[in-house]
Amino acid sequence: MYRKQVRRRRAVLALLIVGSFVLLTITYGQGSNGLQRGVSTIFSPLQGVADRALKPARDLVDWFDKTFDARGENSRLKSELAKSREQAVAGQEAMQENAELRKLVALDRGPVLAASAYEPVAGRVIARSPTEWRSNVTIDVGSGDGVHVDDPVISGNGLVGRIAAVEPGSSQVMLLTDHESAVAAKVVPAGVQGVIKPEVGNPERLILDFIDSTKLVHGGQTVVTSGWRAQGLASLFPPGLPLGEVTKASIVDQEAKEQADVRPFADISNLDLVQVLTGGSRG
Amino acid sequence: MILTPKIVARIALVGLLGVLLQLSFFSQVELFHVSPDILPALVVCLALLGGSLTGAVAGFSIGFFVDCLLVEALGVSSLVLLGIGYLAGLYRERFEFRGSLVPALLCMGLTLVAELGFGAIQLLLGIDAPVSVLIVRDILLKSVYAFFLGWPIYLLVRRSLRPALVEEPKVQRRRQPKVLGV
Repeated sequence: MYRKQVRRRRAVLALLIVGSFVLLTITYGQGSNGLQRGVSTIFSPLQGVADRALKPARDLVDWFDKTFDARGENSRLKSELAKSREQAVAGQEAMQENAELRKLVALDRGPVLAASAYEPVAGRVIARSPTEWRSNVTIDVGSGDGVHVDDPVISGNGLVGRIAAVEPGSSQVMLLTDHESAVAAKVVPAGVQGVIKPEVGNPERLILDFIDSTKLVHGGQTVVTSGWRAQGLASLFPPGLPLGEVTKASIVDQEAKEQADVRPFADISNLDLVQVLTGGSRG
Repeated sequence: MILTPKIVARIALVGLLGVLLQLSFFSQVELFHVSPDILPALVVCLALLGGSLTGAVAGFSIGFFVDCLLVEALGVSSLVLLGIGYLAGLYRERFEFRGSLVPALLCMGLTLVAELGFGAIQLLLGIDAPVSVLIVRDILLKSVYAFFLGWPIYLLVRRSLRPALVEEPKVQRRRQPKVLGV
């Protein structure tokens, strides 16, 4: 009797392990399938309700966490403020000059404003992956709201990712910190182009990879999407979306590895409200 | 544990609530820059109460449900969670556990195993980006959080599955008879 039980238990275990491998083999790298779309469609309203109901509790825990961080953050922000004041003065001058030049060449829409061709759709984060190995979130807008796969997703501070899968009432956003993410970027004002890639497990560090080692990048410079278009191919992201700030760009790293460290502008660990840029022309 | 259709429905409901709570709450809060992961602890608690078969099936189902909701490749979470469910159940069947720290310690240890297992599978499947050493901090802190969350999760799961549990009735101590006049 006992042996029979043990045999049955082992058989079920073997069946489940084989089942997992079969599922993995069938679905790996295939995107969403009908089953996942069905489950997601059924449970996304429930996730929305749970998200709203649990928001006060989440805010309370976040408050505790942020209080711990506040002390270190304060001194950093003070030095950033001083630097930003200097940049703002320089920026105002540049904007004035820019406006005059635009009038001269009769350009009413510059490349940075190409994003305005997009229709922004606001969404709320309703679920997040529990592990650091994957970096994606579920938002409460989907194909019913005009969202499509590969649409860029932004927060108030800049680009956060792109749509990876769409259901009628929800979508999956692949964040900049996901290991599969890669965004064509450029450093302004240096103009150095590269690809923004993540470092798995560290949401506060991105890597600007494949940069031109003959042009030097400096700490404090801003990184934006480059939004290239060539031979019928185009970047998924419009040009000029803020990505982050160069934090470390040693000459050794730039020359040997063609890399620089970037801190993302968007607080990717604490996303709540985002905007999906639907429609528009890519690149 | 005596498995009747009602108890299976209760286990499914516990799993569903656990997954929703994880995705909508625990994954979205951070303490010291790390989010707690209660799903391995939930599977361990189910296995401690139901045995290895219940643990493995619950782990597989919860993992499958998570992968469906997150539109990830199916099978990764299932494989990891069924493994720790089976191990926790095996512990319950082989050893007699006494003491309130055992569920919490098992939750901590097997969360560590689950996070390492998950990382190993991801690395085997291929990671297109460098991996930060901070991932080690994340894994260790998740295990510590599982220790603190393990005991309340165990109590809640045990309470919700109480009708199915076969427990030895507690031996009630009789009061010492009072001797009059002493």
